[in-house]
Amino acid sequence: MKKKTSKKTKPKKKSPDRRQAATKVIKVDYLARVEGEGALYLKYKKDQVEEVRLKIFEPPRFFEAFMQGRDFSEAPDITARICGICPVAYQMSAVHAMENALGVQIPEHIRLLRRLLYCGEWIESHVLHIYMLHAPDFLGVPDVMTMAKTHKKEVERGLRQKKRGNQIVRVLGGREIHPINVKIGGFYHLPSAEEFAQLKEELKKGREEAWETLKFASRLEYPDFERQVEFVSLLHDSDYPMNEGRIASTTDLNIAMQEYEDHFEEEHIAYSHALMSRRKGRGSYLVGPMARFNLNYDRLSSVAQEGARDVGLAPICLNPFRSLLVRAVEVLYAFDEAVRVLESLSGSLAPSVPVVVDKSCRGSWATEAPRGLLYHRYELNVDGTIRTAQIIPPTSQNQRTIEEDLRELVMANPKWSDEKMRHRCEQAIRNYDPCISCATHFLKIKKEQVEE
Amino acid sequence: MIRSLVEKMEQVSQANGGGQVARVKVRIGALANISASHFREHFEIETKGTIAEGSELEIEECGEFSHPQAGHILLESVELETDG
Repeated sequence: MKKKTSKKTKPKKKSPDRRQAATKVIKVDYLARVEGEGALYLKYKKDQVEEVRLKIFEPPRFFEAFMQGRDFSEAPDITARICGICPVAYQMSAVHAMENALGVQIPEHIRLLRRLLYCGEWIESHVLHIYMLHAPDFLGVPDVMTMAKTHKKEVERGLRQKKRGNQIVRVLGGREIHPINVKIGGFYHLPSAEEFAQLKEELKKGREEAWETLKFASRLEYPDFERQVEFVSLLHDSDYPMNEGRIASTTDLNIAMQEYEDHFEEEHIAYSHALMSRRKGRGSYLVGPMARFNLNYDRLSSVAQEGARDVGLAPICLNPFRSLLVRAVEVLYAFDEAVRVLESLSGSLAPSVPVVVDKSCRGSWATEAPRGLLYHRYELNVDGTIRTAQIIPPTSQNQRTIEEDLRELVMANPKWSDEKMRHRCEQAIRNYDPCISCATHFLKIKKEQVEE
Repeated sequence: MIRSLVEKMEQVSQANGGGQVARVKVRIGALANISASHFREHFEIETKGTIAEGSELEIEECGEFSHPQAGHILLESVELETDG
């Protein structure tokens, strides 16, 4: 029997008026475009690279501006639209920042369920990144479609694991992309015990398969490249960080989330559309899986620590290319943590706690998006409308570090061919899993030769 | 992404003498990172007030990830209402 590879969904019925109209069919074959573009500018003097600039072109989306005047309760649903891969991160930072503003205390089971939801997002996002975006670079193929010809089992595993991540988000978040079940104070409703039980069984299978992902990642060949940078992530008293903790760094930082803007600033760079963050009075820093891992290794579950040991990964990891391996450890952790959360739930649980706005207020919070620290700040009017909103995503925080990595790579290898240069630079950019990943498969490189 | 599809449909309509879109056929690749139901939901929102509002949407989900267009959403055809 021929294997079924596609399925059709029925169109909606036409209205009677339309059915009577004459029509003609036009074949189009148009591929929908992906937004965003990256370019790398290299300035040479003789054989030496003098200047390296990473330019990110993306249309401004004005999320912070158009939230002004909207009701505070809309923030989780609006901010979720910022990203189709990590909407939960935007929701989590938004709900916590609002709760910080309004003095809302959430019960333990809501805290745990938020961790469960975040596990779903880490799984789907990391698995997408590992198998679909980054592994092709390591295997020397242009994309996952080509990779599937030689690594069919791996790609199938990636799709299966990603579905499990999506399943968590669907069950708890109401739908798998841009979830709609998150509200300030908790959730609109909670899944039934039966839904949780089915999910747990699927996640146990996912935890077993996560070992295969880790083994696959450990067999990839990692370029020999290390850089000493300042790693910044949340640091929680006991748990591997997701929604709570203090902001810490591997140098000297250990601050409350509300002090974020005292220590970090964004600046506009003339040659790039994306804002670039820095530590005030210093410079670049790195957020994301490597930062979390390096600062929180001892807070990983014993299963995840065992996985890290098995693949020879011990903190501190300084090779950004090996962030793929760290992601695989975090996938194992996320499955393990999700099962732990589901096993700890019992009895009848209230979906949320009441939230009241009776004065103007201000709140801020940071959570750990798959790509790293995501900071939100809001000011509310007395009627609960949003006066100001500030959102600082991981990509802008890492942009300076990405550029520095690229500078070091190309300066150490000025004679690489254009093809080799493009390949290695794209791979290096994807170490950070920035939101322009999909668009930078074809990084434009512009070389300029200047006279002495 | 859907807005770019709508723009394309508007271009197609103009190039063929104008007219509302009656039916749209798209193919979603196995690695396009969107489900048919989610695509349909966005399609219905994004086409409001455009020439594709109320059009029939036929979605083919291609499950073969080694397909050359597995990572894409393909607008295969549009059916335009005509005067004739």
